Amino acid sequence: MIEITEAPIDHAALTERVRSNLAGAVCTFLGTVRELTAQRRTARLEYEAYPEMALKKMTELEAEARRHWPIIEIALVHRVGRLDLGEVSVVVAVSCPHRQQAFEACQWLIDTLKEVVPIWKKEVWADGGEEWVHPGIEPPPR
Amino acid sequence: MIAAIVPAAGRSERMGRPKLILPIGGVSVIARVTTALREGGADPVIVVVSPAWVPGAAALAAEAARAGGSVVVAPQPPPDMRASVELGLDRLAQVPAPSPATFLLAPGDCPGIDAPLVARVIARAVAEPLAIIIPQARGRRGHPVALPWPLAAEIRTLPGDVGINHLVARHAAQVVSIEVDDPVMLDDLDTPEDYRRWSSAALDEGGPENDHEDDHREERIVRVTVRLFAMARQQAGRAAVDLDVPEPATVANVKRALAVACPELARLVPQLMIAIDADYVRDEERPIPPGAEVAAIPPVSGGWHHERARSAP
Repeated sequence: MIEITEAPIDHAALTERVRSNLAGAVCTFLGTVRELTAQRRTARLEYEAYPEMALKKMTELEAEARRHWPIIEIALVHRVGRLDLGEVSVVVAVSCPHRQQAFEACQWLIDTLKEVVPIWKKEVWADGGEEWVHPGIEPPPR
Repeated sequence: MIAAIVPAAGRSERMGRPKLILPIGGVSVIARVTTALREGGADPVIVVVSPAWVPGAAALAAEAARAGGSVVVAPQPPPDMRASVELGLDRLAQVPAPSPATFLLAPGDCPGIDAPLVARVIARAVAEPLAIIIPQARGRRGHPVALPWPLAAEIRTLPGDVGINHLVARHAAQVVSIEVDDPVMLDDLDTPEDYRRWSSAALDEGGPENDHEDDHREERIVRVTVRLFAMARQQAGRAAVDLDVPEPATVANVKRALAVACPELARLVPQLMIAIDADYVRDEERPIPPGAEVAAIPPVSGGWHHERARSAP
C-alpha cells in the first residue's frame, strides 16, 4: 500500500496490515518530528509533496524492492501538511520470510525514499524562524 | 554499456535541404538511425547537432531526442565530421561511469543501419575490445564503426586537415570486418537522387510514405508551464509559472527562462532538477515534449545530489 496523507498515520494499523502467515519477520520504520536540531528548537514541521510524482516514485521503489527481496507485504505512507513534535511523518513497513531481508529492505526503502521522492519539509523554529530543508542550499541569513 | 556517437551537424550541401529530417517510410532519417542504434543495444546514443539557428537544426534535435537520443548542441556549426565527433566524445567523458572499452560511430546520414547490424557490431566489439570493427559488403565499408576507447584520445591529436578515416588507416592492422549481405545497407544519403532511391525502397517495404514532417520549421517560441514546490514555490510566490521558451524547449532553456521570469529564483535555479511527466531528467539538452508536465524539483531532504545508485544491492 502506498499513500500520501494529511491525516495522522496509524502506524500500528500499517504494521498489522503487512503481517502475514508467510512472513517470519516484520520491520516497521517510523520517521518522527524531532525537537532539537543542532541545539535549535523546532516548533513544528511542514511537509509539502509533489503528489503525482511522489506516488509514482514510491510505486517504483516498491517494485524495485520487490525485485531484490522476497517481500510479502509492504506499506509506504508519508504524511504532508503541518506536523507537531513527536508526530509520525513517514512509515515504511515490510514483511519478509526472514529478518535479515526485512531489515535490509526497510532500510533501503526509507533511505532511497528520502533521496528520490519529491517531498520536502520546512522547519518552523521555536524562535519564530522558518527554513526549507534543501541539502546543498544554504538557507537565507536569519 | 557501449555508447554511440552520431555526428548530425552536416550542412546537407548536396541535398540542398536538411537531409536528416527527411522522412523515409514515414520516419525521419535521424530517428531511424537513432532508434536502430538504441534497439541494437547502444546506450547512450549521443547525437551532435548544429545550434538551433541553423535551418532544420532545431527540428533535427527534437527528432533525435524523441527517438531517445542524447542531444549535444554544438556552440557553432562544426566545420567537419571530426569536430562533431570530438563534441560527442566530450559529452561521453562527462558520463559518470568508467571509461567504456569501445564506442560506436555512426553518421546520421546512413539510413540503412538497422538494429540487428548494430547488435552484431556491438557483439563483435565486446569480444574484441581492441579491434576497430567495420561493417563491409563486397569490399565496401560502412557504418556503424566500433572504435576502441584509446583511439578516442588519438582523434584529438590528428592533424587539423585529416578526418577519422586517417585514424582507421593508421591502425589498419586492428581492423576487423563484419560482412553484410546487402550492400544497400551501407549506402549513405547525400543527394536528391539518393533520397528518391531510399524513399522508394521504403515504399517497397510497404512502409507508408507519411510525410508529416515540416522540413523548414521556423524558429518558434513554446509555452511551458513549470510547477514549483517548497522553497521555489515560496520564493516565487506562486505554485506554477508560464514560460515562453525558444525551441527546442530543452531543460537547459527552461531553467534559463525560469531564472529570467523569476529573478528571485536565480540563486536556486542551478540547484533545481527538472522533472518531465513525473520523472527526473538529467540530460539538460533534452527537449520537452509538447503537453508534458514540467516541474522544478528542489533538492529533497535525503539529497538527490549525493544520490547513491538507485538500484538495490
